[in-house]
Amino acid sequence: MIMDKRKNRTYFLMILPAFIGFIILFIVPAIMSFGYSLTNWSVYNADIDFIGFRNFQKLFQDAKTVAAIQHSVVYAILITIIQNVLSIILAVLLNRNSKVTNFVKGITFLPAVLSIMVVGYLFQYIMTSADGGLLNSIIQFFGGQPVNWLGDSNIALYSVLATQVWQWTGYTMVIYVANLKSIDSSLYEAAQIDGANGIQRFFRITLPLLYPATSFNLLMSLIGGMKMFDAVFVMTKGGPGYATETIMTTLIREGFNTGKTAYACAFAVVFFVIVFVFSKVVTYFLDKWEGAIQA
Amino acid sequence: MMKCKNIAKKTGYGIFLAIVSVIMLLPIYYLLVTTFKTPAEAVASPLGLPTHFTFDNYIKAIDAMNYGQALKNNLIITVTSVIFLVVFASMASYVIARSKQKMFKVMYSVFLVGLIIPFQVSIIPLYKIIAGANLMNTHLGVILVNVFCINLPLSIFLMRGFINTVPQELEEAALIDGCGTFQCFWRIIFPLLKPIVSTVAILDTLAIWNDFMTPLLFLQSSEKQVLLQQVYRNVGPFSTDWTSFFPMLVMATLPLVIFYIVMQKQIIEGVVAGAVKG
Repeated sequence: MIMDKRKNRTYFLMILPAFIGFIILFIVPAIMSFGYSLTNWSVYNADIDFIGFRNFQKLFQDAKTVAAIQHSVVYAILITIIQNVLSIILAVLLNRNSKVTNFVKGITFLPAVLSIMVVGYLFQYIMTSADGGLLNSIIQFFGGQPVNWLGDSNIALYSVLATQVWQWTGYTMVIYVANLKSIDSSLYEAAQIDGANGIQRFFRITLPLLYPATSFNLLMSLIGGMKMFDAVFVMTKGGPGYATETIMTTLIREGFNTGKTAYACAFAVVFFVIVFVFSKVVTYFLDKWEGAIQA
Repeated sequence: MMKCKNIAKKTGYGIFLAIVSVIMLLPIYYLLVTTFKTPAEAVASPLGLPTHFTFDNYIKAIDAMNYGQALKNNLIITVTSVIFLVVFASMASYVIARSKQKMFKVMYSVFLVGLIIPFQVSIIPLYKIIAGANLMNTHLGVILVNVFCINLPLSIFLMRGFINTVPQELEEAALIDGCGTFQCFWRIIFPLLKPIVSTVAILDTLAIWNDFMTPLLFLQSSEKQVLLQQVYRNVGPFSTDWTSFFPMLVMATLPLVIFYIVMQKQIIEGVVAGAVKG
């Protein structure tokens, strides 16, 4: 009994540093965000008053903010689909053990260790419409017309997205490859004897058994896409106009540069709700899929 | 007939490998090759080799970035944060995995909130808290944010999963021998956690080293700033002079690229282990 009490006290002291730090630096500010979102706190206001949901009303009336939310949602959905389709294809095709394929896997993963910011700057120069921009030089070499990748408001967001696909496809791929390795090869032999062709084998065997990697990767790219900040911040600064503003660039600007603190907190709350709803929806469909596989 | 098909298949596969390699390597080749060129050369032939090799651009970049100091700042922040994370997360996860007390289960579900809510939701009040605690513009401030606000929940989640698979007999024997709980953890359990400690350390190192937003918000004076901030600070003055700017991009990522080349196997295993547990 005394032993147990002492043990619990030691346990308590061992978990305490992590718990206190987490409460003070995560839980408390998160709750404060919710609280402040209902006030008129800004650097211009000496007193803080409770104003109910007025920040949220303002937020949804501001075309620029609504556009930023749309951009983040579109961006997150597109990058999730494109990145996962590409990395599953790559994983299936590169899942062999030879020196060459291992090298290709290695270089495909490499951009994931670079910082998003560095990749952003590099591609800003590659995609530039100024003289000597690499991408346009290549297009012109093959007789095409130069494109204003980052300066055209219709495509700027997709140009940024392309750079992020380039950077992160290898990361998701290695997770799929590891999952593929765990699939029992006798399943394929049996399917081959039954006369299933390559495409049938992929959809009947490979894809269902990739469930663990797929569920992780889908959620990660979706949430990562929603949080996108660095790439836009360095490549387009949200422009041209506000064509590439995202939730995070708006949140940082309103909260830190324009000083509309409470308004930015309201935006943070909206951000939370969107991420929460999206991950719930995806989890719901993933669970359904898992049920279908097991049935 | 069969043979023909095989050759076609092999060629097709070779072309596929070549295309993937070109797409992945071309931007990196372009980055590297430009750093040795003069501005005129860079515009005239973006992909050609430089006519003469010179490290002048690198010397300029290292100077403009205050490289030694910035690298030191990166190392201080990353190494300290990772040590804090490993120490605090492993102790907390051990308690969560081993104790049947309800209080600790509740604490665990509080930590898990951090996996669902992105930390950016807290960012504005967090800024006020750090400023209020006089930690603005200090490395400690950035370290605390990196550890407790951003990376702790995932580290605990991964470690708890691993500790659950470690058999309890060892520590029970040690306890009977009179080893205290705390001692027993560090002497007997912690050494067994090597695989998950390396996974967590690798994931956290990548995240913290490459994090741009936290230092951007919490470090203002130039002698405290990290490599990425030095790049950011220099992009204005050098925006039209690629050949001087590209070496900064290379120098900012070089330490992690070396880390990747040396530890490629462990890094990829770490990423995979982080995903499989998740």
